[in-house]
Amino acid sequence: MITLKINGLEVSVEKGTTILEAARFLGFPIPTLCHMDGLTPYGACRLCVVEIGDGPRAKLVSSCTYPVEEGLKVRTASSRVLKARKMILELLLASCPQSKTIQDLASAHGIRQQRFKQEYDDCILCGLCVRVCQEQMMAKAIGFRNRGEKRSIGTPFDVKSDVCRLCGGCMYVCPACQLRCTYNEPEKAICGGCANLTPPCVQKEQFDDMMCYMSPCVACEIKKD
Amino acid sequence: MPRLTSINELKELRSVLFNAADKNKPRIVICAGTACQASGSNGIIRVAKKYIIGKRLIGKVGLRVTGCHGFCEMGPFILTEPQQAFYSQVKLSDIPRIIEALLANKYVEDLLYKDPNTQEKYYNRDDIPFFKNQQRSILGMNQKIDPIRIYDYIAQEGYTALEQVLSKQNPEWIVEQVKSSQLRGRGGGGFPTGLKWELLAKQPGNRGKFLVCNADEGDPGAYMDRSVLEGNPHSIIEGMLIGAYGTGATEGIVYVRNEYPIAVKHLNIALKQARQLGLLGENILGTDFSFDIKIVKGAGAFVCGEETALIRSVEGKMGEPHQRPPFPVQKGIDGKPTAINNVETWANIPLIFRLGAKKFADIGTERNSGTKIFSLVGKIKNTGLVEVPMGISIKDIVYDIGGGPVGKAKIKAVQTGGPSGGCIPAKQFDLPVDYDSLTKAGSIMGSGGMIVMDENTCMVDVAKYFMNFLKDESCGKCFTCRKGTQRMHEILDDISKGKGTLEHLDLLKELAEAVKDTTMCGLGQTASNPVLSTLHYFQDEYHQHVVDKKCNSFVCKELVGAPCQAACPLGTEVWRYVALIEKGKYEEAYRVIREANPFPSACARVCGRNCESRCNLAASGDEAIAIRILKRFITDRISPSVYKPVRTKLNGQKQRKVAVVGAGPAGLSAAHYLSLLGYGVTIIEAGKEPGGMLLSCIPAYRLPRDVAHKEIELLLNDENIDVRFNTALGKDVTIDELLKGGYNAVFLAIGADKSWGLDLEGEDTKGVYSSMDFLKAFNLRGEELAKGHVGIVGGGNSAVDAARVAIRQKAVKSVTMLYRRTSQEMPAYADEVEAAIEEGIRLETLVSPVGIRYIKAAQAEGVKIETFVQPVKIDAKHGHLVDIKCVRNKLGDVDSSGRRKPVPIPGSEFTIALDTLIVAIGEHPDSDCLTSMGLELDKGGRVKVDAKTLRTGRQEVFAGGDLVTGPNTVVEAIAAGKRAAQVIDRYLQGKELVELPKIKLPEIFIEPAVVSEEELENVVKRAEPAAIPAESRKKSFAEVELSLSDEQAKREARRCLRCDLEFTQRAKNEEAKYAAVEDTSA
Repeated sequence: MITLKINGLEVSVEKGTTILEAARFLGFPIPTLCHMDGLTPYGACRLCVVEIGDGPRAKLVSSCTYPVEEGLKVRTASSRVLKARKMILELLLASCPQSKTIQDLASAHGIRQQRFKQEYDDCILCGLCVRVCQEQMMAKAIGFRNRGEKRSIGTPFDVKSDVCRLCGGCMYVCPACQLRCTYNEPEKAICGGCANLTPPCVQKEQFDDMMCYMSPCVACEIKKD
Repeated sequence: MPRLTSINELKELRSVLFNAADKNKPRIVICAGTACQASGSNGIIRVAKKYIIGKRLIGKVGLRVTGCHGFCEMGPFILTEPQQAFYSQVKLSDIPRIIEALLANKYVEDLLYKDPNTQEKYYNRDDIPFFKNQQRSILGMNQKIDPIRIYDYIAQEGYTALEQVLSKQNPEWIVEQVKSSQLRGRGGGGFPTGLKWELLAKQPGNRGKFLVCNADEGDPGAYMDRSVLEGNPHSIIEGMLIGAYGTGATEGIVYVRNEYPIAVKHLNIALKQARQLGLLGENILGTDFSFDIKIVKGAGAFVCGEETALIRSVEGKMGEPHQRPPFPVQKGIDGKPTAINNVETWANIPLIFRLGAKKFADIGTERNSGTKIFSLVGKIKNTGLVEVPMGISIKDIVYDIGGGPVGKAKIKAVQTGGPSGGCIPAKQFDLPVDYDSLTKAGSIMGSGGMIVMDENTCMVDVAKYFMNFLKDESCGKCFTCRKGTQRMHEILDDISKGKGTLEHLDLLKELAEAVKDTTMCGLGQTASNPVLSTLHYFQDEYHQHVVDKKCNSFVCKELVGAPCQAACPLGTEVWRYVALIEKGKYEEAYRVIREANPFPSACARVCGRNCESRCNLAASGDEAIAIRILKRFITDRISPSVYKPVRTKLNGQKQRKVAVVGAGPAGLSAAHYLSLLGYGVTIIEAGKEPGGMLLSCIPAYRLPRDVAHKEIELLLNDENIDVRFNTALGKDVTIDELLKGGYNAVFLAIGADKSWGLDLEGEDTKGVYSSMDFLKAFNLRGEELAKGHVGIVGGGNSAVDAARVAIRQKAVKSVTMLYRRTSQEMPAYADEVEAAIEEGIRLETLVSPVGIRYIKAAQAEGVKIETFVQPVKIDAKHGHLVDIKCVRNKLGDVDSSGRRKPVPIPGSEFTIALDTLIVAIGEHPDSDCLTSMGLELDKGGRVKVDAKTLRTGRQEVFAGGDLVTGPNTVVEAIAAGKRAAQVIDRYLQGKELVELPKIKLPEIFIEPAVVSEEELENVVKRAEPAAIPAESRKKSFAEVELSLSDEQAKREARRCLRCDLEFTQRAKNEEAKYAAVEDTSA
């Protein structure tokens, strides 16, 4: 057993446990996007960063991949952590504004602005789909390709995969391409409570009878400011 | 090659090789490193071989082909042994001479390396400053070894360290030695190597352990690992063997970039030879120690230099980092314990055992032992690889070894550590180069790239460049690294295009800090360094881009437009009139010039020509367009009457009045533009006539008096302007009187015409004059003050002017200029000095005055120029000057201005007999009276104004020209006057004084010239106007330079690269596109 302190609380967990698991065991909430129980931790979205260590050696690490160490001191919500998380969410919103998951997270973290040029991507390359395909479906139909800004997910050479069973697991786990906010097209709306960030909330009255999953709506909040 | 079966056999082999080598045999050494091969050393080697064989010199002259020596700037070169003569930038035809000279134990004098600063010739390579100031314990081996011959390495004490450890048979001792040597990882992280080995040694070895040599060197501008691998691969093999013995590793891997073909080739040969000799493989040297090394070639991803990504790559997976812990030492390649060290670290290992750990630890500083190789590149004279002990200052590397800046631009910063590093500004060059100091300064040691940047480098652009690199080279796994680098690049790109705001700077900093904090691997954690360090040290440069929309380094195209126009203080559309000259539209060209500049003819002769110094043609290696001479061509040919200025109509409003004090170029142009805007202007001038410094200081042979008079008359022939001569501010009139007397605003432009003194006793002696008094006496009153032997102290334009005027005076026998630095550092215009040299003015300097035309002109006229001289005493007899005592200087340390300080040499005093001494060490404004009128002055007597609005402490009083800047060029004074007119207009209209900055990009499209194939082949040289021969101009004040002919001018204008087209053609193309769309839609 390994003993460590999370936010001042001492906890003993088995060797090989990650900080994320230990913190959740204690009930400390840590937001995640690329983490899913049952899949290998990957550490891509960086949303789960926590602060470890003291003084000048204190640093942020992704809690989903970092194994617990004896005597480790962890802070899951220090100001440094929150500041970093906010910036990550702002970057996510700037790239993938339509993802309900991201919108909800942004809303919960009090993001009131998005200062980058708006993009409309539908993938944050969290790799959940790749891991589901490989680890749960044993198919390895899709994977990462290229690096840096050209990185993408798909089948090798974009050829239709022989091993894909069209199970749909990849779409099921996706935080970005499922549950997409459809703005001002009422007939297609899942919730329709908000529109995209620019221009926000057009024709709001049309959505009266629908419920927004987000509270409050990120777009409307930004408009208010 | 027989296999060696014991340590003794290796020792015997070495002694055989050692005895067989003839130390005194003449030998030529040729570098065949990648850089030298690129500059042609393969041809040199081929021809040298052919010559030696052809002349039957085999046995008499040896030839060794080696790896990189480091002085890549001078390649290809030949080093001779045992002379150690260094012939740089050798041509094929030089080889016979070098070989024959070597055989006769002589030197080929003209090919020997010369110092570019002092022209001093060096006979022994080790005396050359570039080599002398280094400590080349690793690189130094390269010249002694042919990398494809293992016997060369063995003869140079190679594999002795291996012998030592194999005979000791104590792995713990090895680790202990490396630990006490305090060697730290040379890849950049600086982790203690001994500690890493200890950790590896402690790991269970039942499944095998890996040692890796990381040769994935990907930093732009860094290539020391390549040079070590290419030049001395056996040192890496020996290092890894020692490491394997100490840690119990079973397999070795060299992970090398596929882009290094020579390194791979040499390493393969070295591995093969080592195996044949029994130094690698099973039972090495007959012991039970077995270890082998294989090469893994990287496919070119920068991130694979990161150790966890490298492991992935070796395993055949996608090169992306993963979480540490577990560290590679615990769980590395295929899950087995792995220690990864950089090439240079491995190369240091044999050295530690050969020197002894203690001695090795003594090199460098505490906690930073040993030497480090840096690749010194960028805007520096001696680019190449330099090896220095840790803890040496950046200044020593840049100035003593690197030789300082190329050209006149000052060095601004050094970028260390490649894309993960930061920029260190010149003011911090005393910083010692070691891991901890560099990290503290916001950069990193990195693998040792050192890119020197001068004033022509834009720091925003540098940050943008590295972000562009990183956004492609980030593996893309961490969201913050992938997207963060993209976003940082996006913001920087906006800033460089003038779309940035101050909020962008805050966002950039916030983002950079978040990226640094939240990424997994070293690449992401350091990716922000280029942004953060430039934001920290060069904030003003970011502000210029964001607030003023200016790029003072002339790099960011969208802010600069055509550099000639951007460089002109008046914003003259230079590209436009040059293009019009090419078209033969001279009148239109005149209008373009006159539109921006009320003194076209004067500027056509005496302008400082910022435009030419920024010309892209000059930047691309050719000579700049002769812009000033083209302007002269137009102004000589076209009557000013073709230009009709546009006047603002008052529409019945009451005319308001402005007083302008001083009728120099600043005052006159302010008055002119105020008059055009509808104001009534009174110019108040202390002297008898208008013109200021144009007439009192600039000699007639540079600016003929009739030309100047005509131009000034034209400006003053204006119903809105009247002039009151012989009225001095402070004596005859005060600012308060002017403001009470009906003037709504006052513009002060009284210039700077008081000379600084030498601060020596006897300066009031007869025969000693200030340059201003001397020039004014002659230019305004025709008095010839200079007599007999004349000395002039100073190196600026007024010093050269005084020298050239003096030599034209009847009673003068000789003229000598005395300057305290070298002629290269003279602030005078190069072409003016050159003209003086032509006139026979003597210039004695350590440095040849090549390219300094102004100094040359003075010399041609007979002025002698003594540099490195500082007057210390003035002697007089019967109240008249007889001689001055001077002391000689040498160049000392680099001061804050980036120039070397002159330091007096004790005991070097000497006397110069003189009849006249003219002191021309600078001027300051005669502004004492202004303090009593409520204006604030600085130490030099200059009026303090708001830099943007030219407004003084009093809201209705503005000031400009030399009064504010100190002595400056005519064009800057005209620009100040022009700006003052605009600001005063805004003030009197009650508008905001500061206008929003506008980016001036070329707008008017002019068809480019059609250049024929034939013309492209024949390079046209810059047009040089004819000049009166030095002999006949020496006693005359006729204008020296003549105008161009019609044909010459057109040919010169055709040379223009037309930087404007990039903007105007684009607009034109878009217009055409719209027109086409409208056509189809209609």
